[in-house]
Amino acid sequence: MGTPFCTSALLKEVMADYYARGVQAKERGIPVVWVTAVFPVEIVYAAGLFPYYPENFGALAAARKTTEKLSATAEARGYYADLCGYARCGLGDAHSKEHPVGEITRPDLVFCCNTQCGTLQKWFEVAGRFYQVPYFLLDVPFIEGASTTLIKRYLVEQMHELIDFIEVYTGRQFDFDRLTEVLSLANEACRLWNEILDTAALRPAPFGFFDACFHMAPIVTLRGTEAAVAYYRELKRELEERLEKKIYALPDERWKIYWDHIPVWPRLRWFADLFAQNGALVAVSQYTHSWVYHFDLERPLESLAENYAEAFVNRGFDYRVERKIGLMRRYKVDGFVLFSNRSCKPTSFGLYDKRSIIARRTGLPGIVFEADMADQRYFAEEQIREKFRIFFEQLTNR
Amino acid sequence: MERPGPQPKKEMQAINVTEALGEFQQIARDPAAAVKKAASEKIVRVIGHLPTDVPEELVHSAGAYPFGVVAYDRRQISQADAHLQTWACSLMRCAFGMALSGGLDYLQGLIVPTICDTTRTVYTIWKKVRPFHFMENFLMPRQLDRPSAKNYLLGEMGRLKARLEQFTGRKITAQDLGNSIRLYNRHRALLRRLFEFHVRHPEILGNRATYDVIKSSFLIPKENHQELLNRLINALEQELLKLKTGREKTRVRVILSGKLWEPPALMDVLDEVGAVCVGDELCTGWRYIANDVKENGDPYVALAERQLARPPFACFVNKKQDRKDALLKKVRETQADGVIFVHLKFCEPENYDYPYLKEGLDAAGVPTLRLETEVGNVSLGQIKTRVGAFIEMLEGAK
Repeated sequence: MGTPFCTSALLKEVMADYYARGVQAKERGIPVVWVTAVFPVEIVYAAGLFPYYPENFGALAAARKTTEKLSATAEARGYYADLCGYARCGLGDAHSKEHPVGEITRPDLVFCCNTQCGTLQKWFEVAGRFYQVPYFLLDVPFIEGASTTLIKRYLVEQMHELIDFIEVYTGRQFDFDRLTEVLSLANEACRLWNEILDTAALRPAPFGFFDACFHMAPIVTLRGTEAAVAYYRELKRELEERLEKKIYALPDERWKIYWDHIPVWPRLRWFADLFAQNGALVAVSQYTHSWVYHFDLERPLESLAENYAEAFVNRGFDYRVERKIGLMRRYKVDGFVLFSNRSCKPTSFGLYDKRSIIARRTGLPGIVFEADMADQRYFAEEQIREKFRIFFEQLTNR
Repeated sequence: MERPGPQPKKEMQAINVTEALGEFQQIARDPAAAVKKAASEKIVRVIGHLPTDVPEELVHSAGAYPFGVVAYDRRQISQADAHLQTWACSLMRCAFGMALSGGLDYLQGLIVPTICDTTRTVYTIWKKVRPFHFMENFLMPRQLDRPSAKNYLLGEMGRLKARLEQFTGRKITAQDLGNSIRLYNRHRALLRRLFEFHVRHPEILGNRATYDVIKSSFLIPKENHQELLNRLINALEQELLKLKTGREKTRVRVILSGKLWEPPALMDVLDEVGAVCVGDELCTGWRYIANDVKENGDPYVALAERQLARPPFACFVNKKQDRKDALLKKVRETQADGVIFVHLKFCEPENYDYPYLKEGLDAAGVPTLRLETEVGNVSLGQIKTRVGAFIEMLEGAK
């Protein structure tokens, strides 16, 4: 993380504005809806409701190193440390009188899509009961190979159930024209976001994974709004300017690395420094590439169903291997790091075999390391440092 | 309860309870032997499934023998370590480990119900590194209360039927399926009768014996099991006639909450301390036998309706069936003195429900105990001490 981005100040404004609208929503009686990261939030925006992302709260609490404190409250209630770190942050905050990162915004409705995992399904179910508000589960069957008509039909039927549910709750008819506008804005934001991510493929690159983790907040939360589009236009403009001025993410980029999955939030800086010291730019991750939606405005519900159900988080072994290798090739990386994250079984189970398959097929050095995205109690610093030392040695000796 | 006799095994009239039970214990102890015997008796295709959400009736109607893969060879757990993190539940690690070491080679196929993140993910690794000729997911809906769930489940049943037909080369007719449904219904009715007998006469039919009979029913063909079961019930009723009533002191009545009764010795401990398990929520217990399939109308609709109406389970969202209410109702109906939570370490869905269930039971004045157990790695001494103290406390309160 080299020269700070001017856009960072704008990001703070954009996100402050988003959170302020959450507070206003409460005051004005606009329902606050909890949603999961891979949920068709476009429907929530089109219905004029305010979407709130508890996973962002988890990431924030983790980055501020408060997981252990919040988790202690959750653990005292019987939610044990083997549960997802984000969920423990959220549940811990719900049961706490103290709020070290501000109180999680209380929901009026809880919407969950289980395409990412079954943990969210349970966490959100618990939250619905805790806050005594209705819970709606958008259920996505696992897609092992190709999707099927059966799954698509199930999803579209549930989209209708979701819209009926919102109509009954708000007493207003759902506006499909508005949905088309929202989808169009989401398309534009996704397009810009991917163009931004792609600049990491340049050698040297002006932007990398750790920058993306910082600048991703609007694509997650404000996808489908003007604000996200405006923000990524500005960021892209700044990146172009930086390229002209030859300002790069690393002053001496020697290698590009593929990082699988999410950051270790409380160690974001630790890892950024570790890679920078070794002249390695983490250029790409499937995580930041999650927001690659493209909606067909002619068939909005079908298209939403396809985009969300067929996201990589809901796909089988081979698809995930191809996705990783595809990104590695596109960004011409020199090595890869796979993060076995205790908080996330779906992305972690299978990595041992994936590592050897990917290494065999690409010839690249690669490692799997164990930690937790939120909870530092599972961070064995010396072992991890040693693992990475060997990894960088392999890169040097290639 | 024991009355050793030299009577020949085959004569139904003469068999005693110990002998009749011995057959079931033998099966539970060495399931592979039963499969091999069945294979030699011309039942060619043995299709494994992870208990107990796969519609066995459908597998049976395809002319195959559905075999429930339970964790019986605990030594094989570490076989999975090269492919799977040790923070996956020991149940899945054991099943997968048994397959990796060749211990499940007698199966021609495997069906994995996708109920949680671990089943969803491990299925894909398993298929990659040690595939069976026939390997399928059963992708159930995980929201069960909206109309879309039933439509989708019907489609998924149809998909599984087509795959089974393709594999066995045999068409499943409505008549075949109807016959299988009737067989399974009769069998469940017998098991329920047995369970009621156990609750009334734990001095004749203890906890371990009862649950071994239920477990053994996943392991051998239902036709054979039913024969053994008829013999056992017969022996039990004869035994009852001989018994002088009124001597037996009132036992402490407990309910088990969780997914399965691991380790099996837990049931022996309950027998030793003189407690009777009068009900449970377990997939390998009452939930397996609780409800039947309607025998008139479309058999696929009937199968789907049974699945949707099964007793609550942590992995499914069903607003029509609140798990806490169901558990409290069971406590009242069975006049249970306390509830023991039996949680497999790393089982997230059960942990998310735990504080809710415990609060409900606390509020109703029902004492609870939580045991965290693992397949193959468990301190029996600690279980004995804790269960013993709990039962003693309940006894004192009676």
